Amino acid sequence: MKDRKRDLANVGNSILFLGPTTVFFAITVLIPFAYGIYLTFFKMNSPTDPMVFSGLLNYLNALKDADFWSSLWLTLKFVIATVFFVNLVGFGLAYLVTSGIKIQNSMRTAYFTPNLIGGLVLGYIWQFVFVQSLPALGEKLGITWLKLGWLGDPHMAFWSLVLVTIWQTSGYMMIIFIAGLISIPKDLIEASTIDGAGPFRRLFNVTLPLMVPSFVVTIFLSLKNAFMVYDLNFSLTKGGPFNSTLMVSMHVVNKAFVEANYGTGQSEAIILFFIVAVVTGIQVYFSKKMEVEA
Amino acid sequence: MNRQRIATSTMVYIISIVALICFVFPFFLLIINSFKSNGEILTSPFSFPQHWNFAHFSDVFAKMNFLVTFKNSFIITTLSTLLIVFFSSMAAYHLVRKPTKYNKFFFTILVASMVIPFQSLMIPLIYIYGAKLQLIDTIPIPLLIFFYIGFGSALSIFMFHGFIKSVPVEIEEAARIDGCNTIQTFFLIVFPMLKPITVTISILNVLWIWNDYLLPSLVLNDESVYTMPVQMKVFNGTYMNNWELLIPAILLTVIPILIMYMIGQKSIINGVMQGSIK
Amino acid sequence: MVNFKGLLKKSTLVGAAAALTLSLAACSGNSSNNTSNANSPVNIIITNGKGEIDAQFKQAAKDFMKANPKIHVEVDSIAVGDTLNIYDKLTASGKTPTIAMFDPYNTVNKYKDVGIDLSNEKWAQDTSYSVKDANGKVVGFPFAVEGMGLVYNQKVVNKAVGGNFDPFSINTQDKLKSLLDKIKASGVKYPVAYQTEAWSVGNHYSSLFLNQESDPNTILDQLKAGKLDLTKNAAWNGYYDTMDILASKSYNKYGDRPLGQYYDAAHVAVGKGDSAILFNGDWAFDSLKAVAGENFGFMPVPVDNNPNNPLNNKIAVGPTQVMVINKKATAAQQDAAKKFLNWLVYDKAGQDFVVNKAQIISAFKNNPNKVTNPLGVAISDAIAKDKTMPFSTNYINTADWSTIIGPEVQKYLGKQDTRAGLAKALEDYYKSHQD
Repeated sequence: MKDRKRDLANVGNSILFLGPTTVFFAITVLIPFAYGIYLTFFKMNSPTDPMVFSGLLNYLNALKDADFWSSLWLTLKFVIATVFFVNLVGFGLAYLVTSGIKIQNSMRTAYFTPNLIGGLVLGYIWQFVFVQSLPALGEKLGITWLKLGWLGDPHMAFWSLVLVTIWQTSGYMMIIFIAGLISIPKDLIEASTIDGAGPFRRLFNVTLPLMVPSFVVTIFLSLKNAFMVYDLNFSLTKGGPFNSTLMVSMHVVNKAFVEANYGTGQSEAIILFFIVAVVTGIQVYFSKKMEVEA
Repeated sequence: MNRQRIATSTMVYIISIVALICFVFPFFLLIINSFKSNGEILTSPFSFPQHWNFAHFSDVFAKMNFLVTFKNSFIITTLSTLLIVFFSSMAAYHLVRKPTKYNKFFFTILVASMVIPFQSLMIPLIYIYGAKLQLIDTIPIPLLIFFYIGFGSALSIFMFHGFIKSVPVEIEEAARIDGCNTIQTFFLIVFPMLKPITVTISILNVLWIWNDYLLPSLVLNDESVYTMPVQMKVFNGTYMNNWELLIPAILLTVIPILIMYMIGQKSIINGVMQGSIK
Repeated sequence: MVNFKGLLKKSTLVGAAAALTLSLAACSGNSSNNTSNANSPVNIIITNGKGEIDAQFKQAAKDFMKANPKIHVEVDSIAVGDTLNIYDKLTASGKTPTIAMFDPYNTVNKYKDVGIDLSNEKWAQDTSYSVKDANGKVVGFPFAVEGMGLVYNQKVVNKAVGGNFDPFSINTQDKLKSLLDKIKASGVKYPVAYQTEAWSVGNHYSSLFLNQESDPNTILDQLKAGKLDLTKNAAWNGYYDTMDILASKSYNKYGDRPLGQYYDAAHVAVGKGDSAILFNGDWAFDSLKAVAGENFGFMPVPVDNNPNNPLNNKIAVGPTQVMVINKKATAAQQDAAKKFLNWLVYDKAGQDFVVNKAQIISAFKNNPNKVTNPLGVAISDAIAKDKTMPFSTNYINTADWSTIIGPEVQKYLGKQDTRAGLAKALEDYYKSHQD
């Protein structure tokens, strides 16, 4: 009797706690995504074309699309560059603003502001910097590589994208790290100090292990953001010069909506999803294992 | 020993200031350029304005139908965030405390869903909810809030998940022994302990939803229900943007969030100062 | 006992939420697409491809509705930079735009099944700029006429030549070079500010060579059949010789690093007189006017040293935005749409909207108004003097050229590719894109 009551209560709890989320999630994400996959089996040039069944043709085209894979490879380089630095800078900033120095409150706000400027506008602002201000500075100081516009050289354009991404998203990661740092019980830190641990020891043996939940989130987010970068790509370099900084998301959007090849573009989006899902899935799986249960 | 400490903290101080300048200067650029005309913005973007022309702000206010647009953004952002936090914290709690195979699977699906490229969902969303169900025409704002909860849950659950794990199970067991059921345990014991992450998640959701352009552009088709980012688009031109109006518009959109962030940060600090948690 | 009550409460809560959701979904509102009642107004939707004139267009709609109380007009403008264009967005969400504004190429390609035959409309006889489909039927109403060429700052150039400059006097490459030298001698270090956006060097500049035949499609057909060796084509090479001059280190402000996002900076330079010349269309005035109200004009882009070559003496002008009436609209909606098009051409308020309010060059000679933008005036003058050739961009796949061909031209400009390589890229593109 008691067991049955408890089982019913458990089911009731499940519905109450998990139900609403499941409903919203299914309606907003799962169903449209399923329909999106359904669409990839039809040949459509523009999304408003009549649907002509074409089986796996779109996926074959996607696999044959050399530009898709080269843009993916370029994006991978971008991912490696940004994820490392974003997390390093983000954590560093968070550590800085919780270390107790006097101006940390205003710093906390200052480091967060880049995030407030979203997507396309960010690219336009940084265009000013790279096209006008840095060259002007380079002219004054006589530094050649500063003088010539950053956005006209494939390598410098790539690094300008990396730089702006680090600048914009470190603040976002910072506040996640702050939440984590603040949640570390003070008595643990005190105990380790009493035991004679210096600041570096404290950092590596006490703080970082307890920060794993934060890192799980930030590494996941920085991975995802880097793989899916679009707004900044579009507004800062437009994929140029001569498509040398065309990341995979921009390629997919161009294919589906600009090149009038909606079917192939959509299937490339799905392929991209699977690749990124596997990568981030592996990351989350292994880092979750490192989470310490209190 | 003392000299070393002074040297380190001076170094830290200097690094912080340099970082501060690097981070803030584009914002500073926005501010000084909001008082200039298009010509001045293009020719001398880095200098102080010759005349501090406030007219652009009132121009933007009128052209953006500011009060109505602000109200739309406010309602959508606040309601969506509250509901996301409410439902996601509950869902995360359930997923953490009842690690069944189904729950683990569901969590995996949630995390995976975050990497779905939005472009692949654009057409399905407007086809299903516009063409088929006519909801985009009839109830755009509730529909949009619905979508935000649907899209926002995954990340919020993901973040709550890790932090709930760090709440000791013993405290909950103690509450159970005292006669609390699951709902009471969660809302009275566990949730208050999650204050830092709850505020953080709220800030991040507000930031995302307030500044989001893509989703509202698909769902909100009538000017009277536009949010700030959608309304701002009128200042974008095909070949050149109308900077003298776009920049003040950006500032007017960004400043409310900045204020909200500063308030939010204060509450995290206060929560810590009270030494409530552990 | 407590458990049962709790369960009941919980499931009621969830049930209520689900019911609310379902009822919202079921509560589908009435579609406002079709009108059933003869007395209720006909609703038409117009998509506007020129985001900048959204306010003026909506006002024009209001004016039209005042004169035609039985018609309700809804104007939806594109939001610049959107991935999904406004026509696709509305159609995918179940609406039927009555009048859609497209560019000429898409009107007869991507959207070739959208428009009805308008050959019998009165205005079709009053313009040479309407767009015809593959069968020669008029499907596109020319909304905006635009032109492109070498934009120059009149004050700077007048000073350099010491008098009033006639843009059509520059009809050979040598004359262009000597003009650039004169401008340099007058104290302007870099006469040219060359912007290298993919759509500019690709769609606009690189399509000019199609005008060597009176029907630009002739060249395209040869390319598709693989029968044209571009490296041996005089006009094609000539245009790139001129580009070499314009973008060179001695004349181009950005010659040291020609590629970059220079659009805004180039227009500021020419506007202020720091440079004299750039390559763009009459829409350039939107950027120029921010820094200068001075006079600007157009020069043809010279292709060789034969002063009698028509390419050297003409400016590319043509319709850039056309309107089609949707086949899928009801007969009543199509009639209302036809009324609107006529209003644009024959009604004083309509004529005023197109030219005076929206600052667009009208495709119809009967429009008495004149644009005030100096570049627009220059184009109108060129039309009046019959010194125009087709707007070559209308014959190429603009989407592909901006994402595929444009970057190839950029590679050439950035010395990452040779002329022959560029030729091969273009030839290969047309061999594999037969549409």
